[in-house]
Amino acid sequence: MDQAHGSVLDAVLAIALKDATAELRRRTAVVAVLFFAATALALVSFAIGPFGLPPDDRPPVQAALLWIILFFAAATGLPRAFAHEEETGTALALRKTLPAGRVLAGKALFNFVLFLAIAAVTVPGFAVLLEARAGSAAGLAATVLAGGYGLAVVSTFLSALSARAGQRHVLFVLIAFPLLSPLLLTAIQATLEALRGGFPGTPLRVLIAYDGAASCGAYLLASVAWEE
Amino acid sequence: MKILKLLLLPYMAAVVAAAFLWPEPAKGFIGESSRIVFFHVPCAWTSSLAFVVAAAYSLAYLVKRNPWHDEVAHSAVKIGLLFGVLTLITGSLFASIMWGTWWNWDPRESSYLLLVFLYAAYLFLRAAVDDPERRARIAAAYALFAAVVMPFLVFVAPRVTASLHPQTVINPQGKILMDTPTRAVFFGALAGFSGLFLWLLSLDARATRASRLERAR
Repeated sequence: MDQAHGSVLDAVLAIALKDATAELRRRTAVVAVLFFAATALALVSFAIGPFGLPPDDRPPVQAALLWIILFFAAATGLPRAFAHEEETGTALALRKTLPAGRVLAGKALFNFVLFLAIAAVTVPGFAVLLEARAGSAAGLAATVLAGGYGLAVVSTFLSALSARAGQRHVLFVLIAFPLLSPLLLTAIQATLEALRGGFPGTPLRVLIAYDGAASCGAYLLASVAWEE
Repeated sequence: MKILKLLLLPYMAAVVAAAFLWPEPAKGFIGESSRIVFFHVPCAWTSSLAFVVAAAYSLAYLVKRNPWHDEVAHSAVKIGLLFGVLTLITGSLFASIMWGTWWNWDPRESSYLLLVFLYAAYLFLRAAVDDPERRARIAAAYALFAAVVMPFLVFVAPRVTASLHPQTVINPQGKILMDTPTRAVFFGALAGFSGLFLWLLSLDARATRASRLERAR
């Protein structure tokens, strides 16, 4: 272990805590993300409501809508991870202090917590407003956790990649959607199975495999993505 | 090398002629629609090969920081996208004959469309960065990350839900379900399309390098 940089876990937690403290001070990302999620939820429930669809058609539509809301809500907040460091001029100090992989892991951890906050508002709201009943609550919870983790890791990596690119907000959505599409498709399938009452074993295994592959890729490429 | 390029034209002509004249149409398919396998699958193979080549040259760029490696990776993505779009068009032609619709959101059809989007995003990313060195580095990182995601689109996503797509090549049995003439033309087409890819790659990458050197003067 690199003593000069402390333990990996300490560094990761320190970065996550730093981002959480900065965010709690400003509250812009948290408020914007939660407001977006609430607005999207209200729009969707107003448009189709609990009874706007035949009962058999509800689970597929609800599963897709839930992940579309989660993805776009996440896309309003998660890409800020590295862009904020560039805007405030703290990127250089952070680069000199810690290896990029640890910075990325810390920021991904904060983004995962932010995603869980989004999900904590969106999923119960979705269940109430659209009368969505999860036949397998454990399956739905596992899907949200596994899907949210992958979403946080990939978003954080792309945030590092696009931090100094032009039009980065538009660019983020353009590059994030194709990279996250296997995760979103699988998460929708897993949510559908959970809504129908079964435990989504196969889609969950795929989600976990995606999470593992994305984590390794992001960690190994972090220094290249966030090079000066 | 030059002789190989000259041989490619008659070779491809022979493959196209054989595709229409030699094997019998496969059973269970409407009319002659099964012959699309000699063009559709090689296009899909070539685009996947191109994306793997792009990842390999991206890795080489990150190791050696030689602009030539970035130029080859960029060219490989462009050619991969061209063959990816041809895969979608030929697949759509087959779907219109077999399933009565140009596009039916079959999992394999959809995952290939997403694969095309994945690499189209590579071009968007390049266009958003002005500094050539930073552009090359970021594009290389993206291409390598995309290579991690690609197997999920090519091999995993189509298997999570049921698919109508014929499984003559990639199937759970791990066998190529073709008779001998079909197999011969099929592998001949794969080799021909791969040769065509290498030729196009060499042309495009050298043209990109020439324009870079011209700009540097």
